[in-house]
Amino acid sequence: MLPENITAILTRNETWSGAAASEPCECGWAREAVLYIRALKEPIGPQPKARIEMSPDGIHWLPEGTDFAMPTGKDALAMARIRHFGNFLRVAADFAEGSSCTVLATLHLKA
Amino acid sequence: MTDMTEALRMALLRANPDLSRFDPLPRIISHDDFSRGHCGWSQLVGNYEDSLDTMLDGYSRYTSAMLSTLPHWDAGSHGGMDSSYALKIATRATPGAQNVAIKRHTFRRRGPIRFEMYFTFKPEATELVLSETDVRSVGFLFDLQGGDRDAGTDRVMPHLRFLNALDGAHVQKWQYKPETIPFVAVNGSSKIASHYHLSPKGWQDLPGGEQKLCYNEIPTKVNWTYLRFDFDLDSMQALAFQCNDREFDLSGFEPIRIPGMKNLWCMLNFCLFAETDVAKRAFFYVDSVCISGDF
Repeated sequence: MLPENITAILTRNETWSGAAASEPCECGWAREAVLYIRALKEPIGPQPKARIEMSPDGIHWLPEGTDFAMPTGKDALAMARIRHFGNFLRVAADFAEGSSCTVLATLHLKA
Repeated sequence: MTDMTEALRMALLRANPDLSRFDPLPRIISHDDFSRGHCGWSQLVGNYEDSLDTMLDGYSRYTSAMLSTLPHWDAGSHGGMDSSYALKIATRATPGAQNVAIKRHTFRRRGPIRFEMYFTFKPEATELVLSETDVRSVGFLFDLQGGDRDAGTDRVMPHLRFLNALDGAHVQKWQYKPETIPFVAVNGSSKIASHYHLSPKGWQDLPGGEQKLCYNEIPTKVNWTYLRFDFDLDSMQALAFQCNDREFDLSGFEPIRIPGMKNLWCMLNFCLFAETDVAKRAFFYVDSVCISGDF
């Protein structure tokens, strides 16, 4: 049987500012993940680093250790490869006052 | 079908551990146990044109369904009925938030179909209290339209939800929805329109539809519940509805009926949805689904 391979949309057309995070994704069946963030509109202001977070329960969160620069132009992509993450993943970023980005965050999971 | 054929079919079904807990009609259209992936239950996306900003607000906040072991912070993974996994449809943590998973088919013959599932629901266990009124509702709907050569083809959308709680009151009753809200053109388009048929307005009580389901004693204990809904694609009328030990009278039930649309011929869509009553995620778990037809 072919291994499972699923694309999950975590955040679609939401404008992130301040302390922002995607919804949790329960994906313990997957051995690896790639997360993409695409800026759907021109980002406003300085763009922070985003970070992958993991959780034992989908409620309490810790940095997973991977961070990456948010996209700096409309339709630009940012990406992170993730392994060994347990059962829950999300992506989070802290934007400075006046900064924002309208994002499409997608998680590509593979068993 | 002869008596002997039917007896043989029943014997084979009842000896099959995967299907024995269902009562499918003669042809199984799909059988989803979520140990083999999402089985086609995808995120419902609203209609749009040119920009995602044109999507109706109700659809814009939906997220993807997940494969879940029902993991609980205090007791670990609950698991499904006979695999580790179930489908999880999770709302956001905003009062009134909804989420929908959809399975899109078309049909090859207008006749009776049967939708069966084992399901449960719980709020996210963020508080150490019973939380029995945190999930507003879980439910399902079909989205149907006849073939392009059929006469008088409507788009027909039977909706049923278990209204568990509303504004903190533990309501516990089945409701249906006979009318939707008006369509609007998306972005002024001549081709694409949208209507938010899961708006809070228009739900009606199913006569005799009060039912108390098993809601175990803390937010991290769950029990699976059986549900069956029969619908005739020929007459576009509901035939039967059962939840656990109760069969409900559908003589007062009406689906949403709207004029047929120019692209949706033979459409056979199934949706599962959840709503939260409070600022806490609602989780609608589905262990397995069996969709069957008499053809």
